[in-house]
Amino acid sequence: MSSVLLKVNGVSKSFAASGKVSGRFQALMKILTSGQAPQGTSVIEGIDFEVRQGESLAIIGANGAGKSTLLKLITGVLAPSQGFIEVNGTTAALLELGAGFDPEYTGLENLKMNAAFLGLTRQEIAERLDDILAFADIGDAIHEPVKHYSSGMVVRLGFAVVAVVKPDLLITDEVLAVGDESFQKKCIRWLERYLEDGGTLLMVSHNMYQVQKLCKHAIWLDDGGIRRQGDVFDVTQRYLAWHERKDAKSLSNTQKTPSTSQYAITHLSIFNSEDESGGSTANDPTQAASAHDELVLETGQSLSVRLCIRSPDTRAPVVLIGLVRADGTPVYGVATDHDHHSVTLDENGEAQLLCQFPKLPLLPGGYRVRAHTLDPEGLRVHDTTERSLTIRGQTRELGMVRLTHHWQST
Amino acid sequence: MRNYPWRLLADLTQREIKSRLSHSAVGIIWLIVTPVLLLAVYAFVFGVIFKARAPEGLGFPFIVWLAIGLWPWLAFSEASLRASQAIRQHSALISKISINRSVLVISVLSGTFILHLVGYAVVLAILEIRGINLTWQGLPYAVMIMFTLYGLAAGLGLLLSAAQVFIRDLEQLLPILFMLWFFLTPILYAPELLPADLQHLLWINPMTWWIEELRAALIHGQVLPSLSFLALVAGAIVTLLTGHWVFNRVSPYFEDFL
Repeated sequence: MSSVLLKVNGVSKSFAASGKVSGRFQALMKILTSGQAPQGTSVIEGIDFEVRQGESLAIIGANGAGKSTLLKLITGVLAPSQGFIEVNGTTAALLELGAGFDPEYTGLENLKMNAAFLGLTRQEIAERLDDILAFADIGDAIHEPVKHYSSGMVVRLGFAVVAVVKPDLLITDEVLAVGDESFQKKCIRWLERYLEDGGTLLMVSHNMYQVQKLCKHAIWLDDGGIRRQGDVFDVTQRYLAWHERKDAKSLSNTQKTPSTSQYAITHLSIFNSEDESGGSTANDPTQAASAHDELVLETGQSLSVRLCIRSPDTRAPVVLIGLVRADGTPVYGVATDHDHHSVTLDENGEAQLLCQFPKLPLLPGGYRVRAHTLDPEGLRVHDTTERSLTIRGQTRELGMVRLTHHWQST
Repeated sequence: MRNYPWRLLADLTQREIKSRLSHSAVGIIWLIVTPVLLLAVYAFVFGVIFKARAPEGLGFPFIVWLAIGLWPWLAFSEASLRASQAIRQHSALISKISINRSVLVISVLSGTFILHLVGYAVVLAILEIRGINLTWQGLPYAVMIMFTLYGLAAGLGLLLSAAQVFIRDLEQLLPILFMLWFFLTPILYAPELLPADLQHLLWINPMTWWIEELRAALIHGQVLPSLSFLALVAGAIVTLLTGHWVFNRVSPYFEDFL
C-alpha cells in the first residue's frame, strides 16, 4: 500500500459571527488567550478521509455543501475548528480563477511570483520558464497586465505554473471549466499523465464526466458532512439521482393527483426478477418497505413490477406502466391496451398484475417506475403511484439507454 | 528561523520596492528627488519662517539637527503604518493561497524602510556636500541603531496588522496616533526646549531614546554603543517577540475575519 499523503481527521469548521465590532474584539481576545476562535455557524462537521499517494479523489456536492471550505482547510488557508489535517508532501492548489495574481502586474511577473509562492527558487523558475510559457500558450499577452486578460487566459497561466511545479498533491476547485475546449483537453491530458506518473489529485467539480474520467474515488458532501464516499461511479450516480429527484420534487409539488380515484392502485412494488427473495416479499402486500426503500439494479438486470388494482365496478381499467428518469424525462411507457392484454378482475373487483422488463438496458442514474390506472376507455387517469429505482454500473456511456451496437473498422 | 521563507520574503520585498518606484513616471529619480524636496521644504519652513534653532553650542544649522531625527522617524512610522494594512490589503491572496502570512507584512515593511534608508543616505550626502561636517566615525553605530529601529518597526507592524483584521477602526485611528507620537517625540524640537519637569517625561516615549541616540552618533560622534543602546536592543527584541507571538497565534484565523 502506498503512503498516506493527506489525512483529514474529524475535521469541523465553524465560522464565528464576524459582523459586530464588539464580537470581533472578543474573538481576538479569545484567540489570544485560548488559541481557539469562538464557535459560530458550522460549515462542515466531522469529516474523515485519507488520500494515498497516486490516488485521485473528487469532492462533489451541491452549492453550499462545504466543498470549497474543505479545500481551504486542506491547503491551510483556513484553520479547522476541530480535528486535524496532515499533509505529507508538497501541495499546489488552484482554488479560484486567478488566485494569487495581482491584476496590476504583467502575466510574466505574476507567473514568477506564483511560482515563488509554490516554493520554486528563482533559478528553477528561470529554467522552467519556457515550459510554463509553452503550456500557457498565450503569446505576447504575457507582457500585458493581468487585468487585461480574459478569464480563460488567467486560468491558462495559473494552470501552467502548477503543471510545471508538479506537486505531490494537486488540488483544484472547479477552475478547468473556464478554459476553452482545447485548453481543457490539454489540462485533462496533463492530469492523466500526472496521475499515471504517480501524482495525487484532489478535485472539486460539478462536471461529472470530468470527475469520472479523472478520479477513481469520490466523496459526496452534503450539508457539511460526508453523505457517501467510495467508488467514483457509485457516488456520482447516486449524487446525480438525488439531484434529479430534487428537481422533480419541486416540479411535482404543483401537480397533485386527486385521491378520490375510482380505479385505484392498492399496491405497487418493484424488484429484481432474478432475485427470488425480492419476489417473495413483494407477494405480501403488507410489506410496506417497498414504498420507502429504493431498488438498486445494475444495468442489464431484469426488473419486475407488481401491482394490485381495485375497480369500483365490474369493468377492468387500463393499466399503464411508465419509466421516467428521476427528473421526469420519459424513457418508456406502455399500457395494457397497447399490448392487448386484458386485465381480469376477481369477485372483489381486484386484480394483480406482473409486468417484467428483462435485461433492462437503462444506463446508470436515478429513475422512477410509475403506474397509472385509466378508465376502461383509456381516456382519463384515475390513480398514479410510483417507486424509485436506481441503476448502477461502471460505465461512461452517455444518455439513458444502452442501444445495441457494433463497431467495425472499414 | 530555518523554515522561514526568506527567499520569498526577499522576492516580495524587491517587488514592493519596484512597485513603489515603477508606478511613477520617472521611477528611480524620485528616490533622490523626494528627500531633497522634503529637506528643502523643512529648511524653508523651519529655518526661514519659524527661524527654529538647533540647541545652543552645537554649531550646526537647525535643518541638520532635524534631518538626522526626521528620516529615521519617517522610516519607522511609514513602515509600521503600511505594514499594519498589509494583511487587509492582501486579503485576496490570503484567502486563496497558503503562504506564511508574516512574509506579506515584513516585505511591505522592509520595502518601505529600505526606501527611507536610501532617502536618509541621500540627505546625509547632501548635507556633507553642502559643507556640513557630520561625524562619520559615528556611522557604524548609527547603522546598528537603525537595525534595532527596524526590529521595533517589524514587531509593531506584525502586532498592528494582526489587530487590524479584527479591529477595522485601527485603519483610521493609527495615522492620527502616529502623528501624535511624532509631536511627542523630540524631532522638531530639542528636549532641552521643554520645561525641566516635562523633559524627563519625554523619556517615557521609547522613540526619544532612538532619536537621541542617533543624534549622539551622527552629531556628537559617539563611536561606541552606550548603555542606552542595550535598552534599544531589549526594546526591539521584546516588541519583535510580542508581535511575532500575537501574529502567529492569530494568523490561522485571518481568513475567518477578513
